[in-house]
Amino acid sequence: MNALLLELATPTAADGTFTWVWFMARKYAHMFWTATLVTLLVAVVGTLLGFVLGFAVGVVENMKIHPEDSAARKAVTRILKIIVGIYVEIFRDTPMIVQGMVIYYGLRQNNFMITSIAAGILVTVLNTGAYMGETVRGGIDSVDPGQEEGALAMGMSHAGAMLYIILPQALKNIFPEMGNTFLNNLKMTSVLNVIGVSELFLMAKTAGGAYYKYYEAYLVIAIIYLILCFVLNRVFLAIERKLKETKNYELATEYLVDD
Amino acid sequence: MAEEAVIQVENLVKNFGDHEVLKKIDFEVHKGEVICIIGSSGSGKSTLLRCINHLEHPTSGSILFHGKEIHNTQKELSDYRARVGMVFQSFNLFANMTVLENCMFGVQKILHLDKKEAKKRAIQHLQEVGMAVYIHAMPSQLSGGQKQRVAIARALCMNPEVLLFDEPTSALDPEMVGEVLNVMKELAKEGLTMLIVTHEMAFAKNVSSRVIFMDNGYVVEDESPDILFTNPKNERTREFLKRYMED
Repeated sequence: MNALLLELATPTAADGTFTWVWFMARKYAHMFWTATLVTLLVAVVGTLLGFVLGFAVGVVENMKIHPEDSAARKAVTRILKIIVGIYVEIFRDTPMIVQGMVIYYGLRQNNFMITSIAAGILVTVLNTGAYMGETVRGGIDSVDPGQEEGALAMGMSHAGAMLYIILPQALKNIFPEMGNTFLNNLKMTSVLNVIGVSELFLMAKTAGGAYYKYYEAYLVIAIIYLILCFVLNRVFLAIERKLKETKNYELATEYLVDD
Repeated sequence: MAEEAVIQVENLVKNFGDHEVLKKIDFEVHKGEVICIIGSSGSGKSTLLRCINHLEHPTSGSILFHGKEIHNTQKELSDYRARVGMVFQSFNLFANMTVLENCMFGVQKILHLDKKEAKKRAIQHLQEVGMAVYIHAMPSQLSGGQKQRVAIARALCMNPEVLLFDEPTSALDPEMVGEVLNVMKELAKEGLTMLIVTHEMAFAKNVSSRVIFMDNGYVVEDESPDILFTNPKNERTREFLKRYMED
């Protein structure tokens, strides 16, 4: 590890905050870089899988039990709704930091040797799924019911209408909320230091501890978080604008003569 | 009528909670017929059309297609709905697809025909309704009349045996009603079997082969337009037509 650290002159106690911050950032540059990648990995993979889970939860929450459905169908729908309901309730009513501890140590105690990064991703996925479900349900509700009727009336199944017609429109409506969730997850990965995920917070704690310069070390990662979120936020806003804009269409003049 | 019945409605009853919207409806639709269903708001005509398509499931009674009862299973409903198309008052064009994609969607995803055939059909029917130049437009970029013409083309792409129209011109500005009715007149001339819920009395009188007058959940009168509009048998039909002609 030492070979990776730069040989730098250590500032003295008389040196100011800025000198120390600059020293920390350079001395532990490699560690902070790796930690940034771990933070991004957990946030990106956890959020994307969490979105998939969230869509599944939203679809189940949106299921309706019709009086004319078969008894088996009614039973399956009810059971699915109960399972999803319990899951959502548990993950919305407990802090993520506690979920991390319970899942990580719980699994390891039962001889399932999960790595801390995998556990960190799992916690992020489950947390995102529980919150996204509600958003997706709202997104589905925001799509005009006529859209589904149009698809059903030509012979499409409910699932097909969901996949091709409703979810693409719901996705567009809830995209801003999805961006928020991603940024929130990026920041929330910091709590995963408690199960030993080598993300930014844990690195700052380690680097700060080496010189008893916690303020300076955390200032370094504060700046890193700020830059990451600032850039990603701008990216999401650009995508959102792109999704919203309606391009001018070209007239298919090759068919003009036939009109 | 010598032709075989395509759709038979038998003892159809539909309740919404305690409210009985349709009370024992019986009638048949034969090949090539253009049937207009008229009646005041709340008489149950739209519900009848939605029951025929099973968008509302009948409380009791049955819908028969070529003599076979349609049951509430996905397979039966899909096969049936693919052959009995529907055009809505609010168009219901897919907002996430272009005009062309709207017309190709069902052909590819439901009839499972290839992209080339889907596009061929889409262009053919969009040309019939005069909308082929707009294939790249999104529904939100079209006027109401244009949307409804695309919706009709989309339904035609499935090569339906029967087309159901649920108040196709009621959501349109007056100057756009004509363009949609003209398309429907053409379809009637070509011999397409159509069942049309409408408030357009002139259209019902001039284009349809049969007119059904509904009131309070009952079919009150089922006649040729010549008789129904000039010499209605039922008192309520007379009142309804009188009110309509005054407006």
